[in-house]
Amino acid sequence: MTFTGLIGRICMFPLRLIISTCVRLRIHPNTLTFIGVLINIAAACALAFGRFITAGVIMVIANIFDFIDGKVAVELGEVSEFGGFWDSVIDRFSDLSLFIGLIFLYSQLGRTDYVMITALAMMFAIMTSYTRARAESLIKKCKVGFMERPERIVLFMIGAFTNRMAAVLWVILVLSVFTVADRIILTYRELRETRQAIA
Amino acid sequence: MKSQAPLPLRVLWNAFYWTYERTTWQYDVMVAAILAFVWLTPPDWLNDPMASGCGPVGWLLDLLR
Repeated sequence: MTFTGLIGRICMFPLRLIISTCVRLRIHPNTLTFIGVLINIAAACALAFGRFITAGVIMVIANIFDFIDGKVAVELGEVSEFGGFWDSVIDRFSDLSLFIGLIFLYSQLGRTDYVMITALAMMFAIMTSYTRARAESLIKKCKVGFMERPERIVLFMIGAFTNRMAAVLWVILVLSVFTVADRIILTYRELRETRQAIA
Repeated sequence: MKSQAPLPLRVLWNAFYWTYERTTWQYDVMVAAILAFVWLTPPDWLNDPMASGCGPVGWLLDLLR
């Protein structure tokens, strides 16, 4: 087993308990998704005021909701196309709110350089999701690139808990640029192959 | 990237054009590299607005001096 796989398994123990509680209480998965974004907005406020540890703790709670909504939907038999759509849309709001919190913080500190780095990281984080969504309307699957949402969220938490947000933003920016490029390359290749197969 | 390419070039290409799943050893290596960058890069090098000092690298350099 890999190291990251082991961490995943350890984290699943408490999450199983939370999932079964939500299933027993019959909480609708779309409600869990919505609660998740509200808590993420609170995390963004904490980031905006430079309270990184508080933001980290709130992000952990918010992302528990984010993670369990899909599992609860499966266990309740409430999986729906709208649920998937709602989840994706709400995830974008969560992502954006965290970045906006940091932009507010750095602008308050008069750090235009980090306002720009955060804004660019935000742009490429959103483009990561958009390129996949758009590509999958043209090709079967577009799951390449390292920097997806779970990686981004874990990095945000690491940055908040260890006060290394600047380094985290650089990593998110560079790897998100690569991820967007990977998705464009894959889509181009797949479409070219399809065109050649038809010709 | 074609398999005839030199190994370092292939490694670089595979790191850029990422097709590995989570929980693979390649993913673990990438995570280790990212954590090393985040935790070992002195905040002063990045002009971090919220953290200062030289971090673990600075402590190591101080120890070696």
